[in-house]
Amino acid sequence: MRSYRTAYPFRWRVMDTLEMLARVLWPNRFSGAVPYLMLAPAVLLVLLLVIGMAQIADSSLHVLDRSTFLPSADFTLANYQTALRQPLYWMIIWRSLLGAAVVTLLSLIFAFPYAYLMVRTPSALLRKFLLIALFLPFFIGQVVRAYGWLIILGNQGVMNEMLGWVGIEPQRLLFNYPAVLFGLVQYMLPFAVLMLAPAITAIPEEIESAASSLGANWWRTFTHVILPMSKPGLVGAGLVVLTLSLTDFAMPAVLGGGSQDFIANAIYDQFFRTSDQGMGAALTLFLVGIGSLVVGVIFTVFGAGTLAMGRGKK
Amino acid sequence: MTGMTKSDGKQKAAVAVSVQNVNMTFDGFHAVDSASFDLDQGRFLTILGPSGSGKTTLLRMIAGFQKPSSGEIFINGAPVSAAPPHKRSVGMVFQKLALFPHMTAAENVAFPLKMRRFDATTIPERVQRYLDLVQLGSYADRRIHQLSGGQQQRVAIARALVFEPDLLLLDEPLAALDRKLREEMQLEFRRIQRELGVTTINVTHDQREALVVSDEVVVMDKGRIQQMASPTATYRTPANAFVAGFIGVTNFLNGTVKSTAGQEVIFAAGEREFIGHWSAAAGAPTVSANVVGALRAEQVRMATSADELGQCRTVLSAAVTDAIFEGERTAYEVTVGMDGNIIRVFDHDPAAHKQFGIGEAVFIGWNPQDVMIYPN
Ligand SMILES: Nc1ncnc2c1ncn2[C@@H]1O[C@H](COP(=O)(O)OP(=O)(O)O)[C@@H](O)[C@H]1O
Ligand SMILES: [Mg+2]
Repeated sequence: MRSYRTAYPFRWRVMDTLEMLARVLWPNRFSGAVPYLMLAPAVLLVLLLVIGMAQIADSSLHVLDRSTFLPSADFTLANYQTALRQPLYWMIIWRSLLGAAVVTLLSLIFAFPYAYLMVRTPSALLRKFLLIALFLPFFIGQVVRAYGWLIILGNQGVMNEMLGWVGIEPQRLLFNYPAVLFGLVQYMLPFAVLMLAPAITAIPEEIESAASSLGANWWRTFTHVILPMSKPGLVGAGLVVLTLSLTDFAMPAVLGGGSQDFIANAIYDQFFRTSDQGMGAALTLFLVGIGSLVVGVIFTVFGAGTLAMGRGKK
Repeated sequence: MTGMTKSDGKQKAAVAVSVQNVNMTFDGFHAVDSASFDLDQGRFLTILGPSGSGKTTLLRMIAGFQKPSSGEIFINGAPVSAAPPHKRSVGMVFQKLALFPHMTAAENVAFPLKMRRFDATTIPERVQRYLDLVQLGSYADRRIHQLSGGQQQRVAIARALVFEPDLLLLDEPLAALDRKLREEMQLEFRRIQRELGVTTINVTHDQREALVVSDEVVVMDKGRIQQMASPTATYRTPANAFVAGFIGVTNFLNGTVKSTAGQEVIFAAGEREFIGHWSAAAGAPTVSANVVGALRAEQVRMATSADELGQCRTVLSAAVTDAIFEGERTAYEVTVGMDGNIIRVFDHDPAAHKQFGIGEAVFIGWNPQDVMIYPN
C-alpha cells in the first residue's frame, strides 16, 4: 500500500495551505481583479518611466543660466538648437550609430556559428563548455571587463608583449574607435548567442538533411534554409545588441579614454561634469528618439511577426 | 556481385539498388546488422519492422546522411558510400516531412531544381507539372502552414520527385496521419510510383501498408533483415517465427518434434499432439527439436459441435473467454481444455454465423498445413 506521504506529496500540502491563505486574504469574488493586479507592477514601472521622461522633456526646455547656474524660468528650444548646431554632437551621434551598426553586424556574424555549434553538437561536453565560456564573462560585469582589456591591450600589456616576441614595435591598441568596437562586440556576443540559440533550436535537423538530399551543399543549405529560418532570432538578437551598444557607456568611456564618446557619455558629461541639466536632457531625448526610430525601422522592414510574437505567423 | 542485370525473373530488369553486407554500429550497438538486398529498377520495396529495428538507419545510409560502418551500397551499379547526399540522385520524403516553412508550395518544389542547377527557364513548367501530378496544381502559392496535413504530404512527394531521382525513399511519412487519410495516401503513393516508374523504398511499421503498396517486402527486426519476399509470400510463408508473429494475428504452439513425414511434422505441445507443416523458407526440423507452430487467427474455425468442423483435421474443445465484435469480423479468445492455452480466432462474416458468447463451450478446428513449423 502507498503511504499517505507519497500519495499526497508534501509540496501539494504546502500549496493547499497557501491557497487557503490566499482565499482568506483575497476572497473568490475578487478573483476577476486578479489579472489586473498581476499587471499592476508592470504598469507602475512604465508609468514611472513616463513621468521621468516628462520631467526630462521639461528640463530640456530650460537653458542653464551661466551666471546663477540655475535653469531659466521660461520655456525655450535653445538647448536643441545648440545641440543641432554643434558639429561635435553630430559627430558623437554618427559615431554611436555607426558603432552600434558595426557591432551588431560583427556580433551576429560571430555569434551565429557559436550558437549553431552549441545547439547542434552531439557532444554534451562541448555544449557545456561553450555554455560556461559564454556565461563566465556575465559574472564579471562590463566595467571590470573593460578594465581587463586595458591591462591586456595597454602599452605594456600582454598583447604588446606578445607582439614584441615576433619583433613588432609596441602598438597603441587602446583609446581608439576599433578598441571601443572590439570591447563592445566582446561584451555583446553572449547576448547575441543566447538570443540566437532558441531560433536555431527551432530548426529541425531533418530540414537540413532534406536540403542536402535535394541537392544543396552546406553553404547553400546555410544561405537558402538555415539563415532565412533563423530570421526571428537574428532580428531579436540584432535589436538587443543594437540598442544596448547604441546606448552603451562603459566601453566608450574606458576603452575610448574620453576620445571616443558615444551619446551616453556626452549625456553623462552634461549632467555630471558641466551640470547643464537642460542640455543633458535634450541629448537624452535625442538618444531616445534615435533609438526608437531605429527599432521602428527594423520592425517595419522585418515585421514584428518575425520575433515570433503574437498568434499569427507572418 | 554487383551485376546490372538479374536473369532469374521473367523480364530482365536492371538492379537499381544493391545493399551489400551493410553494418551500422553506434558505440558497439548494432543498429543495422549485415543487411543485404537487391532491388530491381521500378520496383516498390517496403521495409517493415517494429520501432527501433533499424529501418531509418538503413534508409539514411542509402540517402547518404550516414556512412555505413562497413559494407557498400550501389545505386545503378555505382558504389555511393563516398558520395554526400547532395551528390546522390535520391529523393526522400521524411518522417516529419521537413518542408521549408519560409517558402511556398511551388518554391519548395522548385528548390531541388535550383540546387541541382536545372535550366532556369524550364523550372516553372516542371514545378507545375509535378504539383499537378500530386493534385495540388492550384495551391502553388500557398505557404506550407496554409496547407492541410494531406496537402503537405503531397508537396513533400512532389519535392522529392521533381528532379527525377534514380531512387525515392519514404521514411514513414504517413505515420502521423489519421487512418482514412493514411490509406488514401498509400494508394496515392502507389499511383504516382506506377505512373513515374521510379524505384521506391518505403519504410513503415504498418503491416497493412507494407502488404497493400509494395511489390516486395523486407521484414527487419533488431537490425537484421528477416525476410525479403513478395507481400503474399511474406504473409503466406513467413521465413521465421518473428515474421509470422509480426504480420497478422498469430497463435504460437510451443512443442517438441515427435516425428516428421514429408512436409508434415507431428509435435507435442503440453499433453497434446499437433500436426504442422514445415516450409522451405524455414527448413525441416529434426526429431525431438524444440519447435513452434504458428497458426493465423483467421485459419481457425469455430462451431458449437465437432461435426460442423468436419473439414478440419485438428479439432479441440474450448471455452470462449473473450469476444470482440469488429464489424466485418468477430475476434474471439478461447481457452483450450485443461492446459489453459489461449487461442485467438477470427470469425469472418459473423452475420451469417452464430455470435458466440463469453463462457460458451465451443469446438475449434484447423488444418495441419496452416500450422507453420519454425525452430524455437
Ligand atoms: N545516431 C544514433 N546514435 C545512437 N543510436 C542510434 C542513432 N540512430 C539510431 N540509433 C539506434 O539505432 C536503433 C535503430 O534506430 P532506427 O533506425 O531509427 O529505427 P526505426 O527507424 O526502425 O524505428 C535504435 O535503437 C536507435 O536508438
Ligand atoms: Mg524510424
